[in-house]
Amino acid sequence: MSAERIYRLLLRAYPPDFRAEYGREMVLLFRDQCRESDVRTIGFWAAVIWDVARSAPALRAEAWCTRGRESTRTIEVIMKLAAILTVLVGVFGILNAMVEWGAGLTGTIGGMHALALVLGVFASALLLAAGAAILRPTQRGRHAPRLALLASLVLIVAARLLHPWMSVFSQLVGIGFPVAILIALYWPRRASPAGA
Amino acid sequence: MVTKRRAGRPPEAYLPLPPATFHILLALADGELHGYAIMKGVAARSAGTVRLGPGTLYGSLKRLLQAGLVEEGGERPDPERGDERRRYYRLTPLGLSVVRAEARRLDAMVRAARRKKLIGVRPA
Repeated sequence: MSAERIYRLLLRAYPPDFRAEYGREMVLLFRDQCRESDVRTIGFWAAVIWDVARSAPALRAEAWCTRGRESTRTIEVIMKLAAILTVLVGVFGILNAMVEWGAGLTGTIGGMHALALVLGVFASALLLAAGAAILRPTQRGRHAPRLALLASLVLIVAARLLHPWMSVFSQLVGIGFPVAILIALYWPRRASPAGA
Repeated sequence: MVTKRRAGRPPEAYLPLPPATFHILLALADGELHGYAIMKGVAARSAGTVRLGPGTLYGSLKRLLQAGLVEEGGERPDPERGDERRRYYRLTPLGLSVVRAEARRLDAMVRAARRKKLIGVRPA
């Protein structure tokens, strides 16, 4: 196996982007080194391996950091979309409760059902507030939306206990949605100056 | 290590430079050079004590390009070697200011060491 082929194999230790950008230049430089050195000596290969071992891990780490920053930006976009959805679900929840309340005026609604509806309206309002807080982050970061989501979750569970005939859809949205957003908010990730 | 371009950063904000980075910038102070010429220049200037391999050299050049201290000067064959086209690099005005600032910093340190008679006098 020629020295250049061995060096090309060693180049695989570097990140693909770096290889694509500088691989050809590095091989040219290695060729120059081969012309002026004895490639059959241990010293030559020790210097080559030392150079790769010294520079490749640092460049790999830099590439991972860059990728980490990019994935953080993607998560922030997803969080913004989730926040918009949270606001819409909150508005939908309030409208739904108002429609049910209107139906209740005709006499088909009981005391516990009415209380569950009031709790549902508060839970939806808290969802709306949480979505707005995620969209417009403050100095206190994600503390406010977390509290709002937890409170909304507690209210929906209370409403479900008061009114066992709550629709499966309402339960899924009212309980599953805040839980999903809370998991996303508590998920560890790198801080970004762009914010979420 | 220099890793990011920051608009409006004074040259002193980049200091102290890692030795390999300072040697590369010092080599480029002579004008546009390709990778092998930089490597040879560094080895000659340091009397062989600093040897940059391809990985260390291009890793440092990548960071210097990102920081805006160095820019690419195009690709062409080396007139002396007459082989494949090589990518040339040159200092930017910011790179020149940074290497000057680092040279001043090192000069001040050497003068301080001389005042304390740590160098420049023969040991008894």
